[in-house]
Order: sequence, then C-alpha cells, then structure tokens
Amino acid sequence: MEDSQEKVPTGPLGEDLASSFRQSRKEFRFMIFTWVTFAAWTLTYNHFNAKGVEGEAVEIVLGMPKWIIFGILVPWVIALTLTVWFALCFMKDTDLGDDDPTNGKGGA
Amino acid sequence: MTALISFTIYLFLVFVLAFLANRVGKSKAFVSEYFLGSKSIGLWAFALTYAATAASGGSFMGFPSLIYTHGWVLAWWIAGYMVVPMIALGLLAKRLNQVGRIAGAITIPELLRRRFDSQMVGNLATVLVVFFMFFFLMAQFKAGAEIMATLLEGVPVYQSLVIVVETSTAGLPWVGNAEGDYLLCLIVFAISVIVYTTFGGFRAVVWTDVMQGIVMGIGVIVMLVLVISQVGGLGNATRQLDEMTPPRFVDVVLKREGDPASDLRLPRGTWLMLEGGTDVVRLKSASVIPAGASESEPVESLQITTPAEIERVRKRVDTKWGVLALPASEAVPYAYGDGKKGVYVHAPGPDRINPGGFLGVMLALSFFAFWNFSGAGQPSYMVRQMAFRDTLTLRRSMVMVAFYFSLIYFPLVIIFTCARILLPGMEIHPDRVMPEMATVLTENAGVPWLAGLLVAAPFAAVMSSVDSFLLLVSSGVVRDIYQESINRNASEKQVKRLTYMVTVVVGLLGVFAVLHPPPFLQDLIVFASAGLGACFLMPMIFALFWPRTTPLAMAFGMVSGGIVILLFYWIGYRQTGDFKEYRLFNLHPFIWSVVASAGCLFFVSVLGKKLPDSLTERFFGKA
Repeated sequence: MEDSQEKVPTGPLGEDLASSFRQSRKEFRFMIFTWVTFAAWTLTYNHFNAKGVEGEAVEIVLGMPKWIIFGILVPWVIALTLTVWFALCFMKDTDLGDDDPTNGKGGA
Repeated sequence: MTALISFTIYLFLVFVLAFLANRVGKSKAFVSEYFLGSKSIGLWAFALTYAATAASGGSFMGFPSLIYTHGWVLAWWIAGYMVVPMIALGLLAKRLNQVGRIAGAITIPELLRRRFDSQMVGNLATVLVVFFMFFFLMAQFKAGAEIMATLLEGVPVYQSLVIVVETSTAGLPWVGNAEGDYLLCLIVFAISVIVYTTFGGFRAVVWTDVMQGIVMGIGVIVMLVLVISQVGGLGNATRQLDEMTPPRFVDVVLKREGDPASDLRLPRGTWLMLEGGTDVVRLKSASVIPAGASESEPVESLQITTPAEIERVRKRVDTKWGVLALPASEAVPYAYGDGKKGVYVHAPGPDRINPGGFLGVMLALSFFAFWNFSGAGQPSYMVRQMAFRDTLTLRRSMVMVAFYFSLIYFPLVIIFTCARILLPGMEIHPDRVMPEMATVLTENAGVPWLAGLLVAAPFAAVMSSVDSFLLLVSSGVVRDIYQESINRNASEKQVKRLTYMVTVVVGLLGVFAVLHPPPFLQDLIVFASAGLGACFLMPMIFALFWPRTTPLAMAFGMVSGGIVILLFYWIGYRQTGDFKEYRLFNLHPFIWSVVASAGCLFFVSVLGKKLPDSLTERFFGKA
C-alpha cells in the first residue's frame, strides 16, 4: 500500500517476487476501479428509474421491466465482457513457486 | 416416485466420486491431500468447486424465496454478482496462493500464523472460523433436510418411516420435540455428507462439487425454459405481476358443517373460502377441529388480494372438507405495498415489516459491496484459492465462473418472479418455493421424473457447501489446534484418525444444533457470511498487500470486524425480537465492520513495532 514499503526481489521465489507483488497490486487497483464504476452505474440508474410512476403500467422490454434491462442486464453483460478481457489480457501469469519445504507439514 | 429414483441415482454418483477420490489420494501425503488436494486443482475443478461452494443453499433456497416475496427488485439486490467473479476471485487469489506456498500453509489460520510468525494470530483466526462457520453448517443442514422432505412428501415408505422415527424418538429430550419428517431427512442428509466428506477429503469435495456444479447449471436452464413456456412468455408474466398486490395475513376460525363425531385435521397449505364467498385464504399451519366441536382455535392464514389471482385460486379450494373460514382478527397488511399495483415489478419492492419497502438505494449499495467483498473474505473460498495449480488456471477459471454465475443468478430471478403466477400463496412457507416449483413445473410438463434432477440442483448446492464448511472446521481443529498447539510430532496415522473423528463429530454437532431449526434460512446465511467477511476480508488484504501490518493489528482487525457484526445483530434483535440486523444509516452492518476492521488494522500497525525485516522480506522481497 505504501510505495516506500515496496520491496526488491529476493526470498524463496527468487527475483520475481517483488515484481509479481507489484503486478498483483496493479490488478487489485483495477478491480476496485471496476467495482466502483459498476456500483455507480446500477445504483444511479436504478435510483432514478426503478421506482416507476404510480398508476402507470410498467414499461416492458424483452419481457422484463425496462429498468432491469438498462440498470442490471446491460451493465451485467458489459461486466462479463470486461471480466473476460481482464482475466485473459490484463492479468499476468506469475510463478507461484512450490511449497516451502522448511514449513510444510504435508507428510505429517 | 420416479423423481425419487432419479434423485437416488444422483446421490449414488456422489458416493462413487468420493470413493474414487479416496483411491487417488491414497498415494499422497495425508494432510496436504485431505485438506487441499495437494494444491494441484486444475481449471474445471477449480472453477466449478468455487462456483458450487459459492452457490449454497442460500442461492437455491433462500434467494428464490426472497424473489418470490419481493419481485423483480431482487435483480438489483443481487446485481453485485456481475463483478463477483472478477473481485471475489481476483482480489486475493494470486497473492494468497503465492504467500500460501511460501508459508507452506494448508489452512487460512496457518497462513496467517506463518505470515506474522504469531501463534496468537493463528489461534484467533481458528476460533473465528469455527464460530461463524458453524452457523453456515446449521443453515445448510436445514436447507438439505427441507429439500428432502419436499421431495419425499408423497412417498408411502417415507411416511411409514416418519411414523417410526416419531414413535422411537418420542419422549427424548430435545430430539423428541423435532418434527418427524424433518428429523428423518436431516439424519439421512447429514449422514450422506459426513460420510463422503470424511471418506474422500478435499479431493472428493472438489470432484463432487464439479458434478454438483454441472447439475445446478443444467437444473436452472431446464427450469427457465419450462417456466417461460408455462406462464405464456416472460412479457405476459411481467404484465400479470404488474397487476398484483401483496397478500394480507389474517387469523381465521375454521367452522365445519355436518356431524362433529371425530377430529378433522386440515393440513398446512389448505385453500379455503373466507366467509362471504368472495375471498380465499390459505392456512399457514395445520389445524384441527376437535371431535364434538364445530369450530377450531384461531389459526394464521394468508389472504390473496389480487382479483385475477383470486379467480385462479378459487379452483383450488377444496370443498371436500365442508369447512368455511371465519375471520378472527383484522387482516394485517404489508407495511409497504398494500393495495398498490406495480410493487412486484418496481423498487423498492413490497415488505411486510419495513414501511420503506424491501430495498432502498443505501441497502442496494450495501449488497453490491457485500456480495463482492464478503465473498472475497470467506475462508472457504480462500482455501480454494490456495489450491489452484497455476495462474493460468486462475485466469481461465475466472472466465468460466463469470459465465456460470451469469447463467445461474439472473435466470433464478426470472424463474421465481414467474413462480408468483404458477404458485400462489407460497408466502406461508417461502423457503420451500424452489422444490415446489421443480415439482409443479415437471408435473405440468408431463415429466415428473425430471423433478428429481431439478431438486438435485438445490440439493447439490447445499451439499457442496456443507462439505466445504465441514472440511474447513475440521482442518481448523486438527491442523491449527492439534498439530500446532497440542502435538507437533503427531504421526500421519494419528492425524488421519483425528481428522476423520473431528469431521464426524462436527457434523453430528451441526445436526444436533439444528434439530429445532431457526426460521430464517437466508438471514442465517447472510449473518455467517457477514461475520466471516468482517473477520477476514480486511485482515487478509492487509496481510497480503501491506508489509507494515503487525500481528497485534491483525488481532484487532479480526476481532473488531466480528464484534461490530455481533453488536449490530444484537441491537437488531433487541429492536425487532427477530434475527434481524440493525442498519445504521440503512447500511448493512458488514459495511461498518469493514470500516472498523480497516481502521484498527491501519492505526494499530502504524503505532506498533515493525516486524523483523527477515520475515517481511520472505513474503514481499528485499527492500
């Protein structure tokens, strides 16, 4: 979290540890940004459109109330697409290493 | 009966998988294999075990009951799931797996203990996991038993067995007071899960999760197709819902005509005409008119208020009883939505207790955060994130889970909003709407055998969650308490025996605790999720991403999160008399617990003494 605390490579995973830590943190920030964006979309749109007008029939699109389409379904489809892109293109592979044999009790 | 056969075949396959998993695991080191599948879980297994564990009895029993009760607004309530695969799976997984490997850890408490070289942190984590996880176990056991009871309701052998169970347990303290059908199903369900979990360990759990995940996916898709065709199209269903108004609750006295020479017992769910001949009511519980009397004691019932629905329901009124319902109290309307058309298709949705409706914008914000961040903070998911083989597996699994959740959660909203059309009056027992729908849909379609497979979907969801929780609790006791604090030099044989024993004992304790089940399945699940998320989300983020975090800060972070949740539920209970949370500024307590936990972690770390450089460097690299 603090940049001053950033570490250079060492440790049991060798030189990749610090850079993989930085990459994980970059991905962490992207995910938080994504969450804020979609939370803002659904909350703002639905706050103004999901209540309906008393006495008026519900507006239906694709068999569902219109606010469901634009306040939930459309952002859902976009979020799904973004998740696919994030997982396959943005996220980087990291050498996760092996279990530390000095600690493991796997054979116990 | 055909439904029961297909359901039995499904259960048999679960046991076959457990047996195979046991054979595969025999050649590997016991603890690592039993609790973490030797950290070699591949793409399909990782994605589906994660998804199946996440989609618990709450998703397939509690969530449908909420959709049924409150309508389309539940799509907003669950909307956070659009980013859950990215957030809950991506936020911690890579670092968690990496740090887990550096630490050589098998469990979450063990990982925390080694990350901070602190026995206190590990022990505290174990206690919190076991405490909150037990509520999960209780909820899932209840859900499993309810599903079985619904499926077996009309089977004669089962009815005879229920009588045997009732007779043989009568008079026993605690056990004897449980309802016979529920007790029988609870025992059968618990034995099944305990046996295959004990026998196969993590690998069996993962393999059965894969099968259960597939069953759940297929079940939802089949139900979606059946329901849309049976309501005459989704647009037609939404238009009908737009006309609906919430029911009312009224106490009625049952009055019979004719000779009162014997008791007359009316089962729960019986439809009756209300005095006056225009309205219909449904009994919320079974009622008896005793011999020699013409009237019953007052009994709670549900009164339908939508004219078109009353017309449909009139056909179901059973005249064979020769009974009329007389109002014995004023009808109690919903606090929000009474007499209002359109409440089932708009926000905030009808609510029986809250005058502001079911879902306001602040609560919607709370749940958008809750599903994602509480999901990321669940130890049962974290354990899975320690088990995947490599990051390629993680990335591809994220894609699979994203599609899977989209195919499960949004269709469930469609299915159970339509359920209001096909199954009126389910407010008397909303937690049973899922199995009831499976039965009704397949009977209407002329394929009753399919009900067994559809009911297997929620059953699979429950089983796949119970087994994971069972394993997590037993790993906490064996690995984190026995091996760390009692006998560090325990042999593999000793550990193995103790593990089997603990899994069985914990399972039996769960059964015993839930003999008289709590009334609110979903509330119990949200409480346990919130508690675990509150205790572990922020501490884990700090532990993995901030080298400056101290052991004392971890302890404060975990405890403060848990205390805030318990405190808000306690205040809620004092205010309502129900198992409900107190919502400060209409936000769910989970939000406040995360704030408290993060605050404690930050300030106690800054004020505390830094960890030795050697320990920090081991997990973050050299400064």
